Amino acid sequence: MKPVKNWLLASTIATILATPAVTTANSDVEKLTQNPANWATWGGDYAGTRYSKLSQINTQNVKNLQPAWTFSTGVLRGHEGGPLVVNGIMYIHTPFPNTVYAIDQKTKAVIWEFTPTMDADVTIPVMCCDTVNRGLAYGDGKIFLQQSDTVLTALDAKTGKRVWSVQNGDPKLGMTNTQAPLVVKDKVLTGISGGEFGVRGFLAAYDIRTGQLAWKGYSMGPDKDTLIKPGKSTTWEDGKVTPLKPESSLATWKGDQWKIGGGTTWGWYSYDPKLNLVYYGSGNPSTWNPVQRPGDNKWSMSLWARDADTGEVKWVYQMTPHDEWDYDGINETVLVDQEVKGKMHKTIVHFDRNGFGYTLDRETGELLVAEKFDKSVNWASHVDMKTGRPQVVPEFSTEHNGEDVNTVGTCPAALGAKNMAPVSYSPQTGLFYISGNHLCMEYEPFEVSYTAGQPYVGATLSMMPAGADVLTGKKDDSTNLGQFTAFDAKTGKIVWSNKEQFSVWSGSVATAGGVVFYGTLEGYLKAVDAKTGKELYKFKTPSGIIGNVNTWEFEGKQYVGVLSGIGGWAGIGIAAGLDSGEASTNSEGLGAVGAYRSLSSYTKLGGTLTVFALPD
Amino acid sequence: MKINPKLPQCLMLAGLTFAAANIQADDKFRVCADPMNPPYSTKQLTGYENKIAALFAKQLNQEVEYTWLPERIGFIRNTLKAENEDGKGFKCDVVMGVPAGYDLTETTQPYFHSTYVLLIAKGRGWDDISESSQLASLPLQRQEGLKIAMFDRGPGTEWLQKSGLLEQGVPYQSMTGDSEHNVAMQIDKDLRDGVIDMAILWGPMAAYVLSQNPPASFIAIPMQSTPDIKFDFSIAMGVRQGDDERKRQLNTLIEQNLPEIHSIIGSYGIPLLPIPKQNPAKDDDD
Repeated sequence: MKPVKNWLLASTIATILATPAVTTANSDVEKLTQNPANWATWGGDYAGTRYSKLSQINTQNVKNLQPAWTFSTGVLRGHEGGPLVVNGIMYIHTPFPNTVYAIDQKTKAVIWEFTPTMDADVTIPVMCCDTVNRGLAYGDGKIFLQQSDTVLTALDAKTGKRVWSVQNGDPKLGMTNTQAPLVVKDKVLTGISGGEFGVRGFLAAYDIRTGQLAWKGYSMGPDKDTLIKPGKSTTWEDGKVTPLKPESSLATWKGDQWKIGGGTTWGWYSYDPKLNLVYYGSGNPSTWNPVQRPGDNKWSMSLWARDADTGEVKWVYQMTPHDEWDYDGINETVLVDQEVKGKMHKTIVHFDRNGFGYTLDRETGELLVAEKFDKSVNWASHVDMKTGRPQVVPEFSTEHNGEDVNTVGTCPAALGAKNMAPVSYSPQTGLFYISGNHLCMEYEPFEVSYTAGQPYVGATLSMMPAGADVLTGKKDDSTNLGQFTAFDAKTGKIVWSNKEQFSVWSGSVATAGGVVFYGTLEGYLKAVDAKTGKELYKFKTPSGIIGNVNTWEFEGKQYVGVLSGIGGWAGIGIAAGLDSGEASTNSEGLGAVGAYRSLSSYTKLGGTLTVFALPD
Repeated sequence: MKINPKLPQCLMLAGLTFAAANIQADDKFRVCADPMNPPYSTKQLTGYENKIAALFAKQLNQEVEYTWLPERIGFIRNTLKAENEDGKGFKCDVVMGVPAGYDLTETTQPYFHSTYVLLIAKGRGWDDISESSQLASLPLQRQEGLKIAMFDRGPGTEWLQKSGLLEQGVPYQSMTGDSEHNVAMQIDKDLRDGVIDMAILWGPMAAYVLSQNPPASFIAIPMQSTPDIKFDFSIAMGVRQGDDERKRQLNTLIEQNLPEIHSIIGSYGIPLLPIPKQNPAKDDDD
């Protein structure tokens, strides 16, 4: 009796003591992100704007930028995500095996490193598109690493010692993880990958001190699993914010199909501390074969707003009902306040793989703007603002055409008008900066896999340059595969757009110096004028860039840093998919095949962090 | 017909091919395969693809060398098309079974042709089914009791939909994340456990399930292709695009060994159909 009593007492005390600590942890991250010397979350701030108030490097002097120091990560394969900088210490991560380094900026020496133990034979074969990792999270004096094998690990930020680990999924069921977690208050948020294996997506919140699961909200299934409260949680329907009916997800699936329904959550998460809501997008429905899952397949391909404490759904909005094109909806959600049609809104802005840029009221889920950010997009003519549904052009509906018909010229290609590389937003210009792809496809729902045992010869991957102008959609015989575009999310208008030879697979950063930085697949770090898009600086890093450019300050100096290291779907998947190996195909797809193959003459594997600064 | 009378010529021809391809005489027959994918291939070399690889290697006077990787997304990219770490050559050269005309690889001429099979567990109230079409015309009440495996990447699902039976489908992924169990093993287990009563399975997988159970446990009905849905497929070997010498060499071996190959495949109980003439214009997408 006595020990139990003591234990209870101890536990109560711990809870009391922990409460202020919790508040500290939250305000800690918020405060850290408000100081531009840090880069403390994947997006630079909870809103995911990837905007820095630093202005030491500006449009006038950026031409003088120089690499200040570099660091080899010692790992090949694709390096996504970017460095975190917290109170002067830098934290970087690698693809599988997910090594984490804490680096002293003064000495450029490693303070500590951590490599988790993972079974490569179990993990790597279930990672669909290279063994990428999109970064770390910081909070409560800990670094949070979401390992490929689904283990979520908390490390002591000072020592690198493991504080706790929790199994977030099961690789045997095809579950893996690639995304950066996010610390919100006393919880760390993470999701799940593996749509190709029929994994049912979810967002999970774990206690930052113990790793204990606090809540888990699935993308599809019964309301008790999705944490949708019928009558209270809402969606955009009939031109208004409408309460959801009971079992709104189940009603849109046949039979048990929802159990392997996809809707994975491998993108980026953002948070509004005032509304206490977390935001993210869910991925494509599974299984791959659209015939098998008649209906809207809710809530795959949707934007979500959940209560940070309970996971309860505030609102949800489906962008691509009954996906037939693999327009995975996981791209980042940026939270900014903007005036739309004469009225100020707390908005959420999302540029989807399907080619539409969406602006919604993030408090209510009201649909405000949905316009193409690349006018070559043709699978849907427009989004009907009343129903919120895209108006699909039957010619480009793979299902409409049937399995034996090769649907030609659907834009964008399955990799989307934009993939996972996060946009940046500058309050100076009021514009969003989009790392874009500019390709169309002959029908293929995904990188068709080799699945022995079920021969079912569908069409396979064939992509070609859009060959049309981003601003007008008019055919222009262009052969570029990438675009870097400035977009006004208040009006849905493209302001300017720069062509890139290859897809832009790097997250950008906008700064108070009026400069926007991004990386290219050939490996260039580029700086452009935020107003005009004029190129002001470029430098070729050791490998192709699919990481995010971040910026911070150390000892009074502004630094810009990026991980290079080619890979990911862009570096491996696209190149492999397009390259038939025959000389004759060099000219195919208006040169796209040759162009992508030539990527290997521009860049080779190898992870490096390059840090830039102005000369002293 | 176990011994090929044309073997000496075949070897000579193969030898010439080597010279042309500048392949060393002591070169290995390098196969990309799944270590746990019965009845196709296993690390214990018990699959029919292992046996055919051994047959070819023997005739080439080579050893078989395997690069093992579960056959999932990225299999071709990570095996057949992956360069060795030292930058010299590729990890492996041949995928023993791909659908003819598969376009992630170049394909040889087909070496067998099979079809999907409707497998029905006996003694569960479906013993009267002898034609697949009967399922669609069952009284509604009986239909509602039906539990049939449905795959994301198989024509069976298409057929279920067209037969109005989608609701009776129990969904499966063609790919599993489990490196210790393949889909055929899972289906075998679930058929035994009564999770499903029937499945439309590709010939080799159906044969595997049959081989794991006492004789006469199942009714096995081959599925008939219609203009709408194709159930029968030719299987070929896959090589890297542009690896024409190896393709020629394999084509010769396939041609010379067809009876032996069919005897191996047949010994696994896999339904074999005559190989139809291949349409030379494979890419009707152009």
